[in-house]
Amino acid sequence: MKRLRPERWTGQLLAARPGAPPASAGALRPRCVASRPRQLCLSARRQQQQPAWENDNDSFDVLQDGTDHARYPPLERLPASVAGYPSPLPERALKSAKLAALHARLSLPAKIPLQTMARTLVDASADENPQFNNANLAFVGHSLITYHVAEWLMCRYPRLPMNILYSAVYAYAGDEALHQVARSWGVESAAAPGGEVDPGLLQFSLDKPVTSIIKFGYKRVEAAYLEKFKWRRGISSRVVFDDDFGGVVDKTPGVEHEEPEEHEEREDDGMDDAEEGLSPSYTSYGTDETRKLAEKVHANFARATVGAVYAHCGRETAKAFINAHIMSRTLDLSKLFAFKQPTRELALLCAREDFDHPVARLLSETGRMSRTPVFVVGIYSGMDKLGEGAGPSLDMARFKAAMNALKAWYLYSPGDNVRVPSDMLAQDAKPWEPAHIDMGEIISR
Amino acid sequence: MEARLLRRPALTCCHRLLLASRPITPAAASSPLPVTLQQPSAGARHKSTTRRTKRALNISPHTSFLGPPTTTDRIIFNPPASTASVFHTPFKFLPKTDPRRRANLMELFASSTTIKFNPTVTPDPADADADAADATAAQDALGPKIGGRVGKKHHMTKEDVLEMRRLREEDPMTNSVNRLAAQYGCSHLFVLMCCKAPREHKEKHIAAGELVKSRWGPRRRTAREDRKRRLEMLFNGQL
Repeated sequence: MKRLRPERWTGQLLAARPGAPPASAGALRPRCVASRPRQLCLSARRQQQQPAWENDNDSFDVLQDGTDHARYPPLERLPASVAGYPSPLPERALKSAKLAALHARLSLPAKIPLQTMARTLVDASADENPQFNNANLAFVGHSLITYHVAEWLMCRYPRLPMNILYSAVYAYAGDEALHQVARSWGVESAAAPGGEVDPGLLQFSLDKPVTSIIKFGYKRVEAAYLEKFKWRRGISSRVVFDDDFGGVVDKTPGVEHEEPEEHEEREDDGMDDAEEGLSPSYTSYGTDETRKLAEKVHANFARATVGAVYAHCGRETAKAFINAHIMSRTLDLSKLFAFKQPTRELALLCAREDFDHPVARLLSETGRMSRTPVFVVGIYSGMDKLGEGAGPSLDMARFKAAMNALKAWYLYSPGDNVRVPSDMLAQDAKPWEPAHIDMGEIISR
Repeated sequence: MEARLLRRPALTCCHRLLLASRPITPAAASSPLPVTLQQPSAGARHKSTTRRTKRALNISPHTSFLGPPTTTDRIIFNPPASTASVFHTPFKFLPKTDPRRRANLMELFASSTTIKFNPTVTPDPADADADAADATAAQDALGPKIGGRVGKKHHMTKEDVLEMRRLREEDPMTNSVNRLAAQYGCSHLFVLMCCKAPREHKEKHIAAGELVKSRWGPRRRTAREDRKRRLEMLFNGQL
């Protein structure tokens, strides 16, 4: 039987009605305190004293934006001083319903305080102070995510070529993927950053994007010429210089993004419609650049959350969190491959591994003289079939068979449940068995 | 209807027995179906009566479904379910340390063309030749070869290459790449690697190609571009 709760019976009367007469500030305060759900405070430790600014009565008008505050009273009473801060004060995290809901939705341990969760939602473009934005947490989170993803991929698919490995790590831990993860967590973004916004909203500014360094990597000396002359970046140099995804370390993205905007402003002097003048890719959701920035901000929030889990709960919890939210996503690795000369690559592979020279043999065919023939070709090395492919011509089928054979080589896996080196950090772990290490790539790219 | 269904396999079995007992004619060998039960030739899709039409169209199941009666379960590979997944590593690609390799020794012997089951017999050169011939015959039974030449001969000497270069430089029109390749029994790629035509010849060659291309109409041009794009899409795994 459900428990009766007499204290809730009058709750409907306490809700703010749009047409209600303006109540005095003093009369409103105790109601708010009484109707605040208790479960917002997750532990007794966090039930702190009320901030001092809640007590003064003349701190009502924060937003002088022409809103009829009598008719639409603000949800939260804020002192005038908050407008001066670039991001909400940490104390307000305890009273944000959105933040508590996010904390509960992610099933985060109670060890992670709401203040830290609030900090993960402040991007560097909203608050430049590294003590209040999420840059540091995102750095930790990014390192952890890429470490775990790369280690798992290396042990699970030991023969992946380096560029495919880079792509796979990016597909798990890149901006686009983590943006989707952050969206799936149900995080909304504030229209504009400021001290008065709800701490449960993701705060960032697209007007003045700020680079927060969250990745390792060196700035190449020849960085300016890479774009200009289309210089080649070999895989070996990417391993040394570039970031975790094999991409060039950004020079200064802030400068990079300002340039086209100035250019556009000059162009659209004679234009009537300001929206058309912004960028050819402008929609109601912004331009390509702004969407990309927003993606990056969302991804950094996801990384910062991992960093917060690591900082408060430790290594194992962070690993479990990454496993649950990031590495559980599906990625078809066979779709990442692209070849230039698959038959030659396969012949080189067979020569290197001391297999018989690969031979293509026609297995079956239909409709050779028709408009839509189908040929099934198998590639054999000696008596062993290495791959099989079907195509509308003999050459197409042969190339496809060779590609399938190469994919089968590259996608070799020792098993589903491979052990990774970080498993050894757990207590009473079994002795380590060496993982399979492949001798290297067939063709240098 | 049920009586006919039951009768059909029985009939087929009788035919198979008959076929096994008498010498197989090429036509009967090529078709998996018994002679009398084969589909009527194209153009005769109906008969004069319903009964005859139904009887003619009543095709017996594929022979792979009519295997010997067994008490245990078996898998019928007809038709192949789908393209093999690239995540199934071929046996040959398994590393030496993989436990799946050790667990499947029979596969190892079956796949080998050199290892035989009788290791006590000392190898004899004549036997080795016979074994090689056997292996080739077994491999040829897998299906007809397609594609370019297999393997390299490595028969060209330095003098050959120098001579080839001289010929190519003297008269690139007569000594074309394909002609030299045929003359020396090497691939045209090898000729291209060794020789370098004079600049004028190259320019003339390119100009001739451009002239041909300029005569193409929109259809031919589009078709060739599409073909190129299709090949790129194939290599990118989009087809």
